Amino acid sequence: MSVTREEGLAAWERIYAVASHPRCTNCHVGASGVPMWEGLSYGPGAAHGMGIRADASRIGAQSIPCRTCHLTTDSPNSQPHAPPRIAQAWRLPPVELDWLGKDSAALCAQLRDPATNDGNDIAGLVAHLQSSPFVAWGFAPGGGRSFPAGSVAELAEDVALWGRAGTPCE
Amino acid sequence: MKLIVNGKTHEVDVEDDMPLLWVLRDELGITGPKYGCGIAQCGACTVHVDGISVRSCQLAAADVDGEITTIEGLGNPLALHAVQEAWMEHQVAQCGYCQSGQIMQAASFLALNPAPTDDQIDAAMSGNLCRCGTYPRIRAAVKTAASRL
Repeated sequence: MSVTREEGLAAWERIYAVASHPRCTNCHVGASGVPMWEGLSYGPGAAHGMGIRADASRIGAQSIPCRTCHLTTDSPNSQPHAPPRIAQAWRLPPVELDWLGKDSAALCAQLRDPATNDGNDIAGLVAHLQSSPFVAWGFAPGGGRSFPAGSVAELAEDVALWGRAGTPCE
Repeated sequence: MKLIVNGKTHEVDVEDDMPLLWVLRDELGITGPKYGCGIAQCGACTVHVDGISVRSCQLAAADVDGEITTIEGLGNPLALHAVQEAWMEHQVAQCGYCQSGQIMQAASFLALNPAPTDDQIDAAMSGNLCRCGTYPRIRAAVKTAASRL
């Protein structure tokens, strides 16, 4: 089924609305390794408390490991301000997946290029979205945390549609 | 369920979601780990699971996956852990309530990073609050302990 450029651009706008939401950008912080605490009640620009640095390991191996507080469990995340937990080891995304503060054009160019999106083609991005416990948690973070509109399935569908349209950015 | 604490195996009859801290304190009488906030924000309850620091106040008993060490099992009076020795030398404790968590955090940290920078020490210990404000002595003691490991 063919997809028009306009439909692709509309899909990208929905993708960007999710990717630029604090629930995503709080961890997609790039080389600083400093997670953010935006999107709860701490206000814009609030960095993770406790001096957390994920460093090159992305799990805080040189200072305090993420898992000290972020448990690996499928227990619910109902308690406000408690560290969120999922059934996978907590960590930050790879350094190159640096989204925080990027505008739509910059993030679009980054995400459509395997050289800057952790080596993924469109099918790889869709598979990541559909299988990642982090992405699933992002749409249902619990504890009073804000979350982006839509769902994992809708986001994956939009990425696939954007890909079929030729990954237009603007 | 079965828990191994400080090298000893315990059979405990508790709800799956009981926080490990309550199992240790109320079921096993191991009171070194302290209750502070209950949501992993202060570090007073820090223990090790397989050598890695965790906040026992929010770790459900059923989610424990490894051997637990508390301050009672870190060293003993005849063979203190290097962090405990350094803590005594620097007279770190004031009221003492947070100190078992501080020491357990420092011991785990130094096992992972035996030659830390000052910034790494600050980052590693920033999740452990001390209302007495003993932070300068904590940092000094961690550095002393690191020099001996």
